[in-house]
Amino acid sequence: MSWAQGILLARGLSRGWGGICSTALTGVPFSQGPPQAPRGLHCSTAAHNPDSSLVPRPPEPPRGPVKALAPHVELFRQAPDGVRDKASFVQAVQNFTQYNVHKRGHVDFIYLALRKMREYGVERDLAVYNLLLDIFPKEVFRPRNIFHSIFLHYPRQQECGIAVLEQMENHGVMPNKETEFLLIQIFGRKSHPMLKFVRMKLWFTRFKNIDPFPISRDLPQDPVDLASLALRHMEPDLSARVTVYQMPLSKDSRDATDPTEPHIIGIQSPDQQAALAHHDPARPIFVEGPFSLWLRDKCVYYHILRADLLPPEEREVEEIPEEWNLYYPMQLDLAYGRSSWDDYEFNINEVEEGPVFAICMAGAHDQATLAKWIQGLQETNPALDRIPVVFRLSGSSGELLASSSGLEEPPLTPPEGQEEEENNQQRQQQSQS
Amino acid sequence: MALVHKLLNGTYILRKCLKPSVASCPFLGTRSADYCSSSLEKPAAAPGKASSQRKTEGNLEGHHQREVALDITSPEDKPEVSFDKAIKEEIKDHFRRLKNDIVNHWIGPEGRPLHEVLMEQAKVVWQFRGKEDLDKWIVTSDKAIGGRSEVFLKMGKSNRSALLYGTLSSEAPQDGESDRSGYCAMISKIPRGPFERKTFYDWSQFNTLYLRVRGDGRPWMVNIREDMDIIQRKDQMYSYFMFTRGGPYWQEVKIPFSKFFFSNRGRIRDAQYQLLLDKISSIGFTLADKVDGPFFLEIDFIGVFTDPAHTEEFAYENSPELSPRLFK
Repeated sequence: MSWAQGILLARGLSRGWGGICSTALTGVPFSQGPPQAPRGLHCSTAAHNPDSSLVPRPPEPPRGPVKALAPHVELFRQAPDGVRDKASFVQAVQNFTQYNVHKRGHVDFIYLALRKMREYGVERDLAVYNLLLDIFPKEVFRPRNIFHSIFLHYPRQQECGIAVLEQMENHGVMPNKETEFLLIQIFGRKSHPMLKFVRMKLWFTRFKNIDPFPISRDLPQDPVDLASLALRHMEPDLSARVTVYQMPLSKDSRDATDPTEPHIIGIQSPDQQAALAHHDPARPIFVEGPFSLWLRDKCVYYHILRADLLPPEEREVEEIPEEWNLYYPMQLDLAYGRSSWDDYEFNINEVEEGPVFAICMAGAHDQATLAKWIQGLQETNPALDRIPVVFRLSGSSGELLASSSGLEEPPLTPPEGQEEEENNQQRQQQSQS
Repeated sequence: MALVHKLLNGTYILRKCLKPSVASCPFLGTRSADYCSSSLEKPAAAPGKASSQRKTEGNLEGHHQREVALDITSPEDKPEVSFDKAIKEEIKDHFRRLKNDIVNHWIGPEGRPLHEVLMEQAKVVWQFRGKEDLDKWIVTSDKAIGGRSEVFLKMGKSNRSALLYGTLSSEAPQDGESDRSGYCAMISKIPRGPFERKTFYDWSQFNTLYLRVRGDGRPWMVNIREDMDIIQRKDQMYSYFMFTRGGPYWQEVKIPFSKFFFSNRGRIRDAQYQLLLDKISSIGFTLADKVDGPFFLEIDFIGVFTDPAHTEEFAYENSPELSPRLFK
């Protein structure tokens, strides 16, 4: 008898100790405890100790650090073959509400879910955020009298609500009427999450369209489409034409960045074509690159075909006689000045660089690919046969090359038609950075 | 600079001087004065390399000096610098600037005749044509709080533009309290007058900020700080966004001053007021677009001008819901 009583006492005490320890560690109400807490005397796993002593056992060690730091992690754990997408995320959230009618530890669960959103790819989904806000019990946290509203009523829950809205703000998700209704239901109209919602509504609408060069959030996955979008983004001349010089091998199992057949897409405007036709064949033109361009969060690289600046004595200004076109003026001087003392010019000589004749994007950044681009350009610019082309390619770094004369040896002028590659000393300089 | 440094941070020099022997103290002290003055405001223009170079150079010279003191002193190794001379030159320089300041006051604001200043409609404030122009800027990144972004500033193509480049990393520092990180900034130094008095820029007759830049498609944020002489307003600034196009062409960015919104301690405030242009202290560019990777920004010059077509005073209204006290 005393043996059985001893066992019962020991089990009861260990259960009590375990419960108190887990409360202290997780800060969660005492009655929750670890989910595998012994429900009754039958199934206590940890208290199975053969020695029957009346002395209370020392507290059980916490079940691994995961348990102590993140309750409910097991709700997000799934079978190895499970795919992490919106459906499984919603399922995990619903599991929580299902098995936990009184929604104990909902604050921790919401923080955990906010952290896990990125893995499941739902961080920009407004419906999921509304679902998370739905976990809060309604009408409980609303202040009911003046004493509630003076002090921050239910501070942890309000902070949690603000955290949900802050993650929405970080990812640029605009809340809608459902969010507003949920926030009013949960926290009341004068609460901090509601204030934050009002601010989000205000500033998001103010800053929605301030980007003068907008790019949509879902970029095309196909590299050819992405390259043509990027080229159109860079070129301000709207009459420029995008030409695909080489398509990648897309039918094979290999991906599109196959080294033997990378895609080559170029853009050139009619003004640039005319300038290239007028270019003096005695001066070489250069293929420079690769330079980086960021579209939202994707980085692509492009090359340019440009010539050096002509020294001032060789620059000729084309004079168009006034009678060339009688229907409309060929030159318009649309200056701002309303009177003779208006002067809106800056007292500085701007940086001048040589003209750019064409831009291209290719899958590979080596000379062979770019030579193919030049060959493709020759079809529309026959003047390219006679102009020597020098390749100035650096390692793939993000900066524009500095072509100051002090730092590199001047390019040799090759005989006409030949192409020469030149390794730039800037490579060492850039590798330092 | 040496004078000011001696007055303000006397212990710093003492610390430097205590290490080598007393004989080489004046020499090393001068060296330390030289690079202490430039390191007062944390330049990171050539981080680590240049400053360590200078330090090793100083140490080497110090050792050399000590060895040489035992032997014959070769005249070409010991340049003619002395701490007192540097201080004297510094004092003379400051007094010269003070005299210029007083004399210029009679000619007109900042030494230019009044009619010229009043009629001016476009003014270049910062240009990048030489190394000394880079010294007017400070470059910071979130390394200051333990992050991993790097940023450097150097002269660009043939000394005609400045190139700000680096890598952004939004990995949060492991200090237990920050969960977001990743920013790089380039801030202009506060303009100083004689005796390092804080002065300010007066742009009250202009209404647009003009930048000639070439970026890589990333969005930047332009921050303007006002002169905070009287009240401790060091966390307040006015900001707006600058979107770069990317590509090989130079881009002109015109931002009217009426579009700048007010923020305090990094948060947009509910009560907004327009940026007052008569006491501007500094301007800065920040990149914090949460995308990891390398970036660059080439700047040709920064100017202000009057856009006659822009008549807006302030772009943001205050709402009674957010700031009820303004509407009582």
